[in-house]
Amino acid sequence: MTSATSATLAVDAPRASAWRRLLMRSEALRGYLLLSPTLLVMLGIMVIPMIGMVVLSFWTQLAGNTFDNAFTLKNYADAFTRDMYRILFVRSLGISLLTTFFTVLLAYPVAYYVAFHVKRHKMVWIILMTLPFWTSYLLRVFAWKIILGYNGAINSGLLSLGMISEPLTVLLYNPSAVVITLTHAWAAFAILPIYVSLEKIDRSLLEAATDLGDGPVARFFRVVLPLSLPGIIAASVLIFIPTVGDYVTPSLVGGTEGYMISNAIQFQFARGNNWPLGAALALSSMVIVTVIVMTYVVVVRRLTARIG
Amino acid sequence: MNKNDIAAALRGSPVSRRDAVKALGAMGLTVATLPGMTRRAAAQSERGTYFTWGGYDDEGLFPTFIEKHGTPPNFVTYGDAEEGFTKMKAGFVVDVAHPCSNDIPRWKESGLFRPIDTSMLSNFPDVFEKLATLPGARDDGGQWYVPFEWGATSITYRTDIVDPGSAGESWTMLFDEEYKGKVAVIDSAADTWWCMAILAGVDISKPLTPENIEKTTEMMRKLHPQIRMYTNDMTSLAQSLASGEVVMAVTWNETPVQLQAEGVPVKFAAPKEGTLTWNCGLMMHKDAPNVAEAHDIIDAMISTTTGKYCIEEYGYGHSNAKSFDMVDAETLASLGLDVDPTEYINAGNFIYPQTDEVETQMNRDFESVKTGF
Repeated sequence: MTSATSATLAVDAPRASAWRRLLMRSEALRGYLLLSPTLLVMLGIMVIPMIGMVVLSFWTQLAGNTFDNAFTLKNYADAFTRDMYRILFVRSLGISLLTTFFTVLLAYPVAYYVAFHVKRHKMVWIILMTLPFWTSYLLRVFAWKIILGYNGAINSGLLSLGMISEPLTVLLYNPSAVVITLTHAWAAFAILPIYVSLEKIDRSLLEAATDLGDGPVARFFRVVLPLSLPGIIAASVLIFIPTVGDYVTPSLVGGTEGYMISNAIQFQFARGNNWPLGAALALSSMVIVTVIVMTYVVVVRRLTARIG
Repeated sequence: MNKNDIAAALRGSPVSRRDAVKALGAMGLTVATLPGMTRRAAAQSERGTYFTWGGYDDEGLFPTFIEKHGTPPNFVTYGDAEEGFTKMKAGFVVDVAHPCSNDIPRWKESGLFRPIDTSMLSNFPDVFEKLATLPGARDDGGQWYVPFEWGATSITYRTDIVDPGSAGESWTMLFDEEYKGKVAVIDSAADTWWCMAILAGVDISKPLTPENIEKTTEMMRKLHPQIRMYTNDMTSLAQSLASGEVVMAVTWNETPVQLQAEGVPVKFAAPKEGTLTWNCGLMMHKDAPNVAEAHDIIDAMISTTTGKYCIEEYGYGHSNAKSFDMVDAETLASLGLDVDPTEYINAGNFIYPQTDEVETQMNRDFESVKTGF
C-alpha cells in the first residue's frame, strides 16, 4: 500500500515539477493564469459579441429576420451622412460633455471637503456619498421626474410662493432635464476618484506653498488642483463614456428634444427591424467616444506635464 | 461584519477599511444575484407566459386562471405589438402573445405561431363568430387567433378647456395653435400614424401605396411640433390629462373611462373623419413551453368573468357574447357599447393587414418624425 503510493508519487513528480518550473520561469504565464477566469468571461460576453456586431454592421437587413451577408458599407454611410444621426451624435456628445462638466464641478468641493476637512469617521462620510447608489437607477430617474414634473416639487413650490401663475413646462422633457438627472445619478462616480487623488496629496506640500507666500487661492490652483488632475481625468472618463450611451434617462425625461443616439440604436434593434444599421450606429458611437476620450487624456497629460 | 458592527460604525466607533469593503462587497453580490434568483423562481412555476401591452398585466383579467393555478400567468410587456413581434422574431419565446387583427397575416407568415386547440377552450363556443373568422384568424390549418377585446383610438380631450366649436369634433383639433405643446399621443405607429392616415384622407382598408405613406408621414410631421409627449405609459398619460399638462391626447377608449370615473371632465371624441377601430386577440407561440397553461390563459381571457371586468374597467368590447349580459344596460350605454358587436365590427374602421415592408417603413417614418426629422 505504502510502496504503491510512493511509486505513483515518484512517477508524477517529474511531470508536476516540469509544470512548476514552467510556471516559475514565466511570469507572464502566471499572470494569465490568474487572470484566466476574467479573461474567459471577457472573451465570452465582450469579444465574441463584439466581433458579431462588427460583422453584422457590414450586412443588409432583409424583410423578416434574415440578412443579406454581402459586404456593404452602406450602414456606415447612413450613420455618418444622414442628418438625423449626425444631429443625434452631436446632441448625445453635448449632453454627456455638459453632464461630465457639471458632475465634476459639483463633486469636487464635496471630495475636497471630505479629504481635507473631515478628520473623524471618514468611512461614514464615504458610505453616505454612495448612499444614492443603494437605490435603483430607475428610481433615481423617476425621482427627478417627480421633482421636475408638471405637478412636481419645483412647480408646486413656485406656485405656492406665487412666483408663477401656472406650472412651468420647460423643466421636464428636454435635454436639460437629461443633464440634471444624469449629473445627479453619476455623482458618486466623480466624488470617489477625486477624493482618492486629493487624499493622496502630501500635506507638507501645502505647508511649503504657504511658507513660500501663496494664499489659499493660489495654493489651490498651483498645488492642489494639478495634483488632483488624475482624479479629475478618471472621473470625467468614468462619466463621459457611459452617459453617451445612456438610454433610459433620455427616454424617461428627455421628451422629443432629448432623444439620444442610444434611443436610435435601440429603435433599430426593435421596431425599426434594422439590426445592421443598429450595429453600425453602436460601433460608430463607440469609436467616436474612444477618440474623444483619448484626445482628452492626451491633452490633459500634456498640460499637466507643462505645469510640472 | 455583522449588523451590530455596522451600527457601531455609524455611531462612530472605528471600523476597519477591510470590514467596510467586505460589507459593501456582500451587498453588491446580493444585489447582483437577486434578479437571477427571481427569474429562476418564475421559470420553475411553469404557469405560462403572457406577452402583452403594459396595462394588460392585470390580475383582474385572470380570475378563472388564478382559481385553477393559484397565481396569474407570468406577464411580459411590450410598448407596442410591433416591438413584441420583432423581439419574438429575434428568438424570444413566450406562450401567448397579444396581436391585433391586422397583424394576423404577418405574424402567421413568420412561422412563429401554432394553431390553438379550440376543444381545450370551454368558452370558445360563445365567442362572436365574426371576430373569430377575421381575415387570417381561421383557415384549414386551424384557429390561429382567438379574439379578446375590441375598441377604438381617438382623441380624449378636456371638455372644460378645449371647445371643438362649430366645426365639431375632428382630428384637426390636435393641430390647434392654442394648444401647442399640450398634446400627447400613443408612442406607436400602429395607432397614431394610422389616425393621421385617416385625417390625410387615406383609405386604410386597402394596401397602402408609397404616396399614401408619404402623405401620412407629412401629416405626422405637421403634428409633431404640437406634441409634448409620445408615450406608451397610459397611466402617466392619464395623469397628464388630469393635471392639465396636456389637454388632448390620442388614446384608446380606456383612458376616458378611467378619467371619467375619477371625475375629470374629459370626452372621447368622435372625429368627423372617423375613429380608428381595432380588435386584438391572442396567438400561441409554436414553441410554447407550457401548452396546457397557454390554453388556460386564452380560455380565462375569453371567459365572461374577464369579459365583465374588461367592459367595466377598460371600457372595451369583449369577444364573448355572453359577457354583455353580465353588465347592466346603463353602463353599456355610458360606454357606447350598447351596439350589436357584429354590426360594430362591420361598420368599423379597421386597418388593412399590410406587408412587412410597409409596416417597417411606417415604423421608421414614425420614428424619424418623433426625433424631429
